[in-house]
Amino acid sequence: MLRLFRSGKPVEVRPIQNPKSKIQNRLLLAAEHITKRFPGVVALRDVGLDLGQGEVLAVIGENGAGKSTLMKILAGVQPPDAGAILLDGEEVVITSPRHAADLGIALIHQELNLLPNLSVGANIFLGREPQRAGWMQQRQIFADSEKILARVGLDFSPNLLVQRLSIGHRQLVEIARALSAEARVLIMDEPTSSLSTGEAEVLFGVIDDLRGRGVSIIYVSHRLREVETLADRVVVLRDGENAGELARDQITHDAMVQRMVGRDVSQFYVRTPHEVGAEVLAVQDLISPAWPDHPLTFSLRAGEIVGVAGLVGAGRTELLRVLFGIDRALGGRIAVGGEAVTLKSPRDAIAAGLALVPEDRKQQGLVLDLAVRQNLTLAGVWRHRLAGGWLNRKQEAEDTARMIDTLAIKTPTETQAVRLLSGGNQQKVVLGKWLSLKPRILLMDEPTRGIDIGAKQEIYRMMETLARDGIAILFVSSELEEILGMSDRVLVMHDGYITGELARDALSEEAVMHLATGRVDDFGF
Amino acid sequence: MKKILGITGLLVAVFVFTAALEPNFLTAYNLQNTLRWTALFGIISIGAAFVIITGGIDLSTGSVVGLIGVLLPMLLVGQGWSIPLALAAVVVVSLILGLLHGVLVTKVNLQPFVVTLCGLLFYRGIARWITGDATQGFGTAFEGFRQLAIGRIPLTDSFGVPMPFVVLVVLAVLAGLFLNYTVWGRYMMALGHNEEAARFSGINTDRMVILAYVIGTVTAGIGGVLFALDVNSVQPAVHGNFYELYAIAAAVLGGCSLRGGEGSILGVVIGAAVLRVLYNAINILGIPTQLEFAIIGAVILLGVMADELVKRFVVARSAAREVV
Amino acid sequence: MRLFKHEILLIILIAGTLTLGGCGQKQDGAADRPTVGFVTNGIASFWVIADKGANDAAEEFDVNVEVMMPSDGPAGQRRLVQDLLARGVDGIAISPSDPKNQGGLLDEIAANADLITHDSDAPESSRLVYVGMDNYEAGRMCGRLLKKAMPDGGSVVLFIGLLGQLNADLRRQGVIDELLDRSHDSSRRDPVDQVIEGDKYTILDTRVDQFDFARAKGQAEDALARYPDLDAMIGLFVYNPPQILEAVREAGKLDQITIVGFDEDDDTLQAIKDGTVVGTVVQNPYRYGYESVRVLAALARGDRSVLPESKFIDIPAREITAENVDAFWAELKQLVGE
Repeated sequence: MLRLFRSGKPVEVRPIQNPKSKIQNRLLLAAEHITKRFPGVVALRDVGLDLGQGEVLAVIGENGAGKSTLMKILAGVQPPDAGAILLDGEEVVITSPRHAADLGIALIHQELNLLPNLSVGANIFLGREPQRAGWMQQRQIFADSEKILARVGLDFSPNLLVQRLSIGHRQLVEIARALSAEARVLIMDEPTSSLSTGEAEVLFGVIDDLRGRGVSIIYVSHRLREVETLADRVVVLRDGENAGELARDQITHDAMVQRMVGRDVSQFYVRTPHEVGAEVLAVQDLISPAWPDHPLTFSLRAGEIVGVAGLVGAGRTELLRVLFGIDRALGGRIAVGGEAVTLKSPRDAIAAGLALVPEDRKQQGLVLDLAVRQNLTLAGVWRHRLAGGWLNRKQEAEDTARMIDTLAIKTPTETQAVRLLSGGNQQKVVLGKWLSLKPRILLMDEPTRGIDIGAKQEIYRMMETLARDGIAILFVSSELEEILGMSDRVLVMHDGYITGELARDALSEEAVMHLATGRVDDFGF
Repeated sequence: MKKILGITGLLVAVFVFTAALEPNFLTAYNLQNTLRWTALFGIISIGAAFVIITGGIDLSTGSVVGLIGVLLPMLLVGQGWSIPLALAAVVVVSLILGLLHGVLVTKVNLQPFVVTLCGLLFYRGIARWITGDATQGFGTAFEGFRQLAIGRIPLTDSFGVPMPFVVLVVLAVLAGLFLNYTVWGRYMMALGHNEEAARFSGINTDRMVILAYVIGTVTAGIGGVLFALDVNSVQPAVHGNFYELYAIAAAVLGGCSLRGGEGSILGVVIGAAVLRVLYNAINILGIPTQLEFAIIGAVILLGVMADELVKRFVVARSAAREVV
Repeated sequence: MRLFKHEILLIILIAGTLTLGGCGQKQDGAADRPTVGFVTNGIASFWVIADKGANDAAEEFDVNVEVMMPSDGPAGQRRLVQDLLARGVDGIAISPSDPKNQGGLLDEIAANADLITHDSDAPESSRLVYVGMDNYEAGRMCGRLLKKAMPDGGSVVLFIGLLGQLNADLRRQGVIDELLDRSHDSSRRDPVDQVIEGDKYTILDTRVDQFDFARAKGQAEDALARYPDLDAMIGLFVYNPPQILEAVREAGKLDQITIVGFDEDDDTLQAIKDGTVVGTVVQNPYRYGYESVRVLAALARGDRSVLPESKFIDIPAREITAENVDAFWAELKQLVGE
């Protein structure tokens, strides 16, 4: 049995049970007492983590738990406010991503960092082009790239432009780039979030292979099933702090969830049964421009919360965009409260009584540099204007105060720029923007993405309250738990189709996944 | 208010510096002139600011000044139109030009830089073509009308407020009210920061952008009228050349961000004043004319840099306050 | 495929342009007349008169004339000259904006066509003749006008569009030398940023406005503000006197400031009639255009007898004062066909 040192105290490391791994159990990288603050929020508080050579370490946690921040610190993107990083037992101060790469630490970003207009080879050697007397050695780039691509199981020409690759292949090229820079530590931040099942499996094969060659991998994911199959060890973060560690034989779905959430999951989603009212939205053969051959039909009743489940790219966001008039429907009928409506712009949709909490809060939901007040009233100022187009400042102030109060928005002043609020409070501002218009139908796209656990629960409670007040809610979510926990009814989409509809009592993870992966045929097996 | 602190400081600094070196700077005569020039450039800068606030840019300002500047004397002297009719005509022309810019930017989805650059070239060409490059002027028949540009409202025996400055104050107040107290002004600010979020909030962003371009060319048109009345002889090939750059410089000095969404009308007017006082200072201190662009460029750069540093300092301080 | 389409379009466009261009040339060539170019140094009413002279001469001497007015100085001249050469003109008359640095361009003309200069000379080039006035002499003439109006001396500020151009430099130097009673030496150059003091007259400053009328006015105003006791202002480019006049009138200093002008802007002439401007020195742009085309037409037909020994065809400047302004103005109006 080997002894490793962390925080000055001897720590016991068990040999990993995973038969595939050849862990040498040598401590490669350690982070100690890392603290990082951002305006308005402490992202990491006294967090520690260590990584052995040839180990696959999964870092899990809810959105906002601080995973990405920790990874950015390890990769030199951001400096920590306090704490130390040790590499091979020696303290290092990582000043930049370039410096991290020199030390052998590479971050594979959530958003891929390749230049699509350059070739694969050029991307792999970007910033490290072999040169002689100032001339780039194209032939060497080509030959070396070919070798390195083979290591990640790719056999296409390095001269191919990156823009012609699938997302999965791009991810592998990123890994190849890291390997060519002789990375010893690969940090993968949600690597499978946009991959198909097949692509993800290829990735897992590569990860396994790399582990065998002694490359250490930090694997950040919220897909617990992947973690279960892949990880040698799991570190859990919650609200910016360490929330436990699981050895290989302790890694189970429940154990992970319990540490991530830190409380009983069953009390997390509060739904009280209440009467649903009349039909407020009827959609008949609606055709979104993204899938011209897939007409969609469904309806929504007052006071009902309907979840839309499906994988990324299943057409859920596209559906909401058409319903909100952002994209023009190519056909079909939409009726709100029994009246047929034509939705040519968000203005039409708003006039019809719809509201949208969009997927990308920062880009689509908020004007980040404007104040809380101006954001809260952005959609309502026109309706509440005085004659002649003058702003109704009094009404504006009243609405703002009421929204900050009812939604419990935490902001020092109402003139604070929204940019400086936490994700959860930002999302509340988006919600508040609509509530002053008293919409009948609330569309929500990933309503809890990137917000901390407390705020999540608040959003859920608000959804519940709104539904009880008779507002119909249609929400898209990629978090299955959220779908299962909040929905009265679930629409499952796959490849632009609504592949099924599940009532609350028929809801189960398996049923949703079956429909979501398009296996309609064997649904009901 | 915080935003215009820096630029106001700069204005005061240049002012005090020049006055200290050359007492004649403070004569009523010189102050009147500086006010008039500030007004003329301030008016076109307000238009530039609106376009910049919505995240666009208007490079055609100088050429619109040129085109309107030759149209007005042509209509009045050449065609013998009445003053109100000619004024209405040039305002309509500049309005149509702005409409055109706005529609090309929003509906045809062209880049503002390209659209207005083509405007810059096109209107200049048209101005030269319709005049055959001949200098246009009002002669001596329109002295009364010209008072709009060269007249002044006497306050004391020697000092009077130049008429263009009155025009500027009226326009600036209107613009300020519009930007800060109407729904449309709010919309412009919002869409300048984030057009997508504004559209998602139900704002007809296209209409607002078009409106901004219309404001841009109409103020350029008004400026064009006043400039023409002021110099009384308009050379089609050069009248208004580079004025767009002065207008943009004044807007940027006054706190507009070329990324959009930021700016105050008062700041822009003060920005225009800084530029004019600088020009005046260069002449009145007897600094060789050859250096003027260099000095103005350097001062703008310093002003913008100082502004950026102040901003960073404020952000850092508020961030520090947040965390404890 | 897309690319392919674009290429076809391009080829059609180019072919079309060539065909059209070819047709145009044929029409021109049909008359079998020589073509000559007349290139100015900018755009101004002054040049519109020269244009008239050039066209009158073209008719009289049976040639085609292309009058080219650049809007952007030497760069524009290069472009326009090269266009003319590309069209195979027989001769070019040019008023070089920057003769010192345009040697290459002037050589290029001389190698391909007959080169003459007008308005402003380039003595170091291989131009065959210079048609114009002696700017230095004209400057001195301007100085004499001021001396006559203000015999006791005083302080003077000069206003000019551009320095570095030979005719402008000479004009300014002529004024200064005359006011300081120096000998005739056109190669002298006084620095711009110094006060030049003579026995009676002091030249306080020379302001340059880059052809921007508004700025010209602003500079006149600034000079009035800076020198409250200023005695005289001299505007050396065509638009300077009217702008000076505006500034002085608005400052209410018409009684104090003596204004001397250059060239024949309507406002300047009117002011001479009114007595607010002492006088002006006028060139004869009509003759510049006329003589240039006459010489080029002869050269194109192989007649070199039009070239004088001195390589200088003098179109003398004239003083216009209250005495002769009416006659001159009438003549001018007739020239521009009003």
